[in-house]
Amino acid sequence: MNSPNPFDVIKADVLNVIEESPQIKTFQLKLEKPLKFETGQFVELSVPGIGEAPFTPSSSHYQDPFEMDVSIMNAGFVTGKVHKVKAGDILGIRGPYGKGYPLDKFKGKDVLLLGGGVGLAPLRCLLLTLIHDIDDYKSITVCFGARSPEDMIYKNFFLEWDKIDKIHLMTCVDKIPDGEKWDGKVGVVPILLDDIKIDPKNAVSIVCGPPIMMKFGTFALVDKGFKDENIYLSMEKKMYCGFGQCRHCVIGEYYACKDGPVFSYDMIKGAEKIWE
Amino acid sequence: MASSKIPLLVERFDFIKLIQNVQENFDVFLPYQTEYDGKDNLSYKKYSGDNDFVLNKYRTIDPLKTLFYLTSESVLPPSAESRKRIVLGVKNCDLLALRIYDKALLEDNFVEPNYKIWRENTYIISSDCDDALQSCHCNLMEYTPYPQKDDGLFDLNLSQIDDKYIVTLGSKKGEKLLDLLYEHCNVKDAPEDILEKLTVQRDKVNKKLSEINKDFSAKRDYSKISKNQDVKVWSELSKECVECGGCTNICPSCYCIIVNDESVGADFKRIRTWDSCQLTGYAEVAGGGSPRERVWERFRNRYQCKFDFMKKNFSQYGCTGCGRCIAVCPAEIDQREVIKKLQEV
Repeated sequence: MNSPNPFDVIKADVLNVIEESPQIKTFQLKLEKPLKFETGQFVELSVPGIGEAPFTPSSSHYQDPFEMDVSIMNAGFVTGKVHKVKAGDILGIRGPYGKGYPLDKFKGKDVLLLGGGVGLAPLRCLLLTLIHDIDDYKSITVCFGARSPEDMIYKNFFLEWDKIDKIHLMTCVDKIPDGEKWDGKVGVVPILLDDIKIDPKNAVSIVCGPPIMMKFGTFALVDKGFKDENIYLSMEKKMYCGFGQCRHCVIGEYYACKDGPVFSYDMIKGAEKIWE
Repeated sequence: MASSKIPLLVERFDFIKLIQNVQENFDVFLPYQTEYDGKDNLSYKKYSGDNDFVLNKYRTIDPLKTLFYLTSESVLPPSAESRKRIVLGVKNCDLLALRIYDKALLEDNFVEPNYKIWRENTYIISSDCDDALQSCHCNLMEYTPYPQKDDGLFDLNLSQIDDKYIVTLGSKKGEKLLDLLYEHCNVKDAPEDILEKLTVQRDKVNKKLSEINKDFSAKRDYSKISKNQDVKVWSELSKECVECGGCTNICPSCYCIIVNDESVGADFKRIRTWDSCQLTGYAEVAGGGSPRERVWERFRNRYQCKFDFMKKNFSQYGCTGCGRCIAVCPAEIDQREVIKKLQEV
């Protein structure tokens, strides 16, 4: 029996590069072979000969499996190289890996998305998937934040999303630097929770963003009355291989790549330093 | 035809004929004496006519993974060779670690390409330890210094008594080796008196291990490792650690790797290389965040991984008591002492 080489990649043509913010770009990819994933799962994206890194797609899992959007922040070695990529270049992609968001557990409930910075990328994937099946959910509250107005990504979609009856969209920025405009709230993401109109006891929440935001966001959700098992966290860890062989991403007995990257808060609460 | 009547007996000089005669079809690896570190150590070498190999004694200095999961290998395309191999003189501590590798790397959905090739094309002829090193402590991990058939990890096992080998069959794959044994050597059923000698020899090495480890107990409460989060305790235990990563590189159960791409002209190769959780940047993510920034945190992680996480992942501790981490440590940190101290706090 010949098993496929798990390190092998699918060729991905870069169709378009969208500058979402000074540090975040969305890469629209056309894949040579279909890659079907579930929202919340991740892929390894590589610049051939340079290296690869894990990302969660930002397009819906209902999208044509030959197409995928990935939003990437310039934050390290590989992402720095990815940011130099232009339309017409070729990337490699493999996956999907891990477990996605447990959509079945969201059905019939009020769903709250709490995101910051580039953490909005996986949440956009989730939101687009939820919108596709909007009748299955009671309501969707979207709380998005960024450091400043120009760091807020997907702004162009806000109006369109907000028009949907069941969606309640709230946004904030940490600060408004001179010369930038912002009509919404100012402060860190958890402040948006003051205005939510759902009953936390029966609602589910999904958190994704920088570690510090996830930490205080989760604490704020617990304060509001969300149950630990109803808070889902997308954990960012160093996932070299994606399938439990490099061991870099272990959180206690769990592998972020195999058992995650989405964990309910009660699963990993006891593990050390989950926010770093 | 392989006989089912085992154990068998073969003379050492006769067994050498088998090794010589299979050279055309197999690469054969055996332990040889080496004066590494000024001491009589054993190390695996490919057979090239030198018959001074040592199948008895104790474990080699190099872990078995150096033959199955090389320090650095191309995984895309896979660089492992499919030539048949026989590895001889493998000790129980290395065999037991191989079981962790099988579980970690041959999982149904994601099969590590090189490991699979090396593993499938290699026959393992294990052997008993009839001696022990000061760092040896398989007894503390409740293992024996000779393999157990029930573990199903060896193909053939050779127990050396004087200049003879008692041969036992361990697996279906081993039957092919038995065929070769019959083909090239004069094989007899092992007589009673030789088998009695083996019992005496095994008792002797077990006693030696008990003596070496008399200050330690096998009844250890490993939950104290994960439960103990006292910075002071762990800082004290790790204060001599120089973060060389030797303990993980030399460990037969550690398999952490990094994956990098290397350009080859217009094409590229994907390389996986051993990594160590003891090194600073190990768990660091883009942007600089790291769950284990301090030495004591990384030091503690190794103990947690071996005695808590791996037990949960593979139903087996990540330590087989080979003691290589103790022997290699430039700071002379003794894993047995660390666990003992943790029992007391």
